[in-house]
Order: sequence, then structure tokens, then C-alpha cells
Amino acid sequence: MIKTSTQNELIQYVYNELADDACTQLEAAFMHDNELAEGCSELLQIQNLLDTALKSPHQRAVQNILNYSKSLSLQS
Amino acid sequence: MNTTTQVSDSALVSLYIAGNENAFEQLVNRHKNKVYTTILLIVKDTYTAEDLMQDAFIKAIHTMKSGRYNEEGKFSSWICRIAHNLAIDFFRKEKRSPMITLEDGSNVFNTMAFAEDSAEQFQVKEDTHARLRELIQTLPQSQREVLMMRHYADMSFQEIADSTGVSINTALGRMRYALINLRKKMLNSNIAYDKNLYSE
Repeated sequence: MIKTSTQNELIQYVYNELADDACTQLEAAFMHDNELAEGCSELLQIQNLLDTALKSPHQRAVQNILNYSKSLSLQS
Repeated sequence: MNTTTQVSDSALVSLYIAGNENAFEQLVNRHKNKVYTTILLIVKDTYTAEDLMQDAFIKAIHTMKSGRYNEEGKFSSWICRIAHNLAIDFFRKEKRSPMITLEDGSNVFNTMAFAEDSAEQFQVKEDTHARLRELIQTLPQSQREVLMMRHYADMSFQEIADSTGVSINTALGRMRYALINLRKKMLNSNIAYDKNLYSE
């Protein structure tokens, strides 16, 4: 059973928010704690999957933004 | 592999404030997908999401051009927070129920590009990603909020904690449950972990 504090550290680790020394300790723990290593692997897989759910807006909408900015520059 | 050094957001903002429109174009292209997805996951309508995305960037333009931009935070967090707030405001004004309307068979999420995929592969990926977005929306509101703020809006857990009035441990716990619940829902929906399927 992974402790809650360690589970929170895993979340911080996969989102690059864990302090360097804590990262080193966690990575060392992966070497002898399969449950922890698997937990980290699962989080990374879900994280990767979430990235693929990103959507792109139509270029028309992007162009509207850029045109608006340019029009303000021309006015000033 | 891209080996060129990427100009930081902070540098692009400075260039833009100094009048460089190309810098702004880079900022928009760098963050448009996260801003758009952040909004889309709340309003669930592509046209509304595109309108609100434009509103978010226009707000950003006015703030930067008027010299009111605060250099302290990350640009990505800032612009996504503007987007998130606009989407929530829209939601409240529309008095819409926060419950989920699934989009089976609709063409709402049909513009992801996978240039090298066959038509069949493209459809499988598109169906999977659409299903994933549906599953995100079935998470409890507090978990969905943290997931969107951290993963799509790029806010730190401390920023999320401050923004939502909870401790950082609560924010971390909500994120942990969001990811665990999402994984369970994926397994129940037969969305398998297939690296080939999810690779970009």
C-alpha cells in the first residue's frame, strides 16, 4: 500500500513539481518498490493520453485574433 | 527532433509589448490548443469555444498592450486562467446544467489532425479521444476542475490551491483521484493503453 504522502509526491513528480532531492529519493525507491514504480508508470500513461485529447481550433479563429492585434497596432 | 532553442514565453511577451506582432503569433500558436481545449471541456461546443478563445486572447492583448501584464506568473497559466474564467462565466450566464451531454455520433470533435494515419486509424484515434473527453466530463466537478487547471491550463498545484481555496494536499489528492477515476473509467469503457494508438 502506497502512503498518501508518497502518492501525492508521485503526482508532483509526473508534473515536474517535486523538488530535486525528493525526486532523487523517489527514483531510488522505484528500484526496490514495484508497486510504486507501477503506480508512476500508470500515471505517466494517463498523462500521455490526456495530451492526445487536446483539440485544435480552426485556423480562422486564430487568424481573427492575429488580425485584431495587428489592427490595434496600426491604430496606435 | 527539434533542436532549435525555443524562445521563452516571457521573451515573446516582451517582444510583443515592444511592437513585434510575430512574437504574438508564436505565443498564440504555442498556446491555442490548451486554451481552446480548456474552454471546450467546459462549454462542450466548438463554436462557443472558438468565440471564447478569441475573447481570451483579446483580453490578453489589451492587458499586454496597456502595460498591465504582470511578469511574475507564467504566460500559459495566465492565458488559460482567463480562458477558464470566461468559460465558467459563459456557463453561469447560460444557466446550463453542469451535467454531461454525451456527443455520440456528433461531429463536434472532428478536427484533430493525424497526417500519417490511414482513414481507419484516424477514425479509431478520433473515437478514442472523443470518448476520453467525454470521460473527463463525467469526473466529479472538483476533480475535473483540478485536472483541467493542471493538465490543460498549466497551473501549478500551489496556484490551483490558491485559486480554489484549498490546501495543496487537497489539490494533489483531487488530481490523484481524477487520474485514478479516469483510468478506471477508461478500463470500463474498453479504452486500452495502446501506445501505438495514442502516439501523435
